Amino acid sequence: MSNVLKIEELNYKKGGKKILEDVNLKLDSGKIIGLLGENGAGKTTLMRIIAGVNSVPEGVITVNGNTKKVSIKENVSLSDHLDGFKATNKISEIVHFYSAVYQDFSITKYEDIANFLGLDMTKKLAALSTGTRGKLVIALTLARSAKLYLLDEPLSGIDSISRKKIISSIIRWKDDDSTIIISDHYVTAIASLLDEVVIIKDQKIRDLIPVEKIQSDYHLGIEAYYEKVYLGEIQ
Amino acid sequence: MEYIENIPIYLQIKDYLEEKIITESYSLGEQMPSVRQLALELAVNSNTVQKALKVMIEEGVIITLRGKGNFVTENAAVVEELKNQIVNETFDSTYDKLHLLKMNNQEITNSFSNYVKQKEKKFE
Repeated sequence: MSNVLKIEELNYKKGGKKILEDVNLKLDSGKIIGLLGENGAGKTTLMRIIAGVNSVPEGVITVNGNTKKVSIKENVSLSDHLDGFKATNKISEIVHFYSAVYQDFSITKYEDIANFLGLDMTKKLAALSTGTRGKLVIALTLARSAKLYLLDEPLSGIDSISRKKIISSIIRWKDDDSTIIISDHYVTAIASLLDEVVIIKDQKIRDLIPVEKIQSDYHLGIEAYYEKVYLGEIQ
Repeated sequence: MEYIENIPIYLQIKDYLEEKIITESYSLGEQMPSVRQLALELAVNSNTVQKALKVMIEEGVIITLRGKGNFVTENAAVVEELKNQIVNETFDSTYDKLHLLKMNNQEITNSFSNYVKQKEKKFE
């Protein structure tokens, strides 16, 4: 198995404040990985750095063998919360924008996912419920043909029926060789999806561990393990 | 399917699929659904389904035919053996517990026989 992602000696500050410190991480391709951490632990920042949205003053990011920002952007599909669009924008306009900006965006794939999730092209962004908006974000993100998908809290604030649909679409449309990193607070909701978890605490990566190891060696579920790491009961 | 969170999911899926084979939801020689279909049905990662199937293939319960997919074994003895294994595992902890209560084999047999009779009455 090859490394889809390699992070070496990453340090990141914003306004003089340390956000990420001494981050080193290697992830194999083909897996689904949970990125866990409290609010403000640096999960979103880390995703934006991996995707090449935030510049890296210190450290090296390699995605699928590429270190140049332009090539990294072509290999990574980061979920966008669509805050840059107007409330009056229709879904069709957003899809058109994605298709124009990303060469690897497949309208056919989008339509398949959108059909499955029950998204209506004519609806305006302002008219979407939180659940439907979450479904749109997933459909747009997965419709790109990337090596690495970064889903930043895809289930946050979403009702349980939409949550199940979103999880199904992740299972259905993930290629065998692509990798997905999911960050979330609802560990239990995504637990059955995960091969491995990465835990961020106090700006540092505390752990990269296979879920099976948590269950077999510690006899714990992911959430309980995560809490013990946070409380310092597991070093 | 609800999963027990501190037991590896591939083991829980293996148990679930084996139960389906023993109860003939999947009959001898029948083609299994694809890995992705199973992943969707069970709401888990495809890698997890692969892992469960790998163990079942090693045990000879499932046979892979290259290019065709996975099939339940045609050998009824393999499934019977699997069933016996589950029966034994189910009894193991109960037997040990009753033994700890200083019950001898005859008492254990009698109490189980009574238990079954009571169950039968409930369903009458």
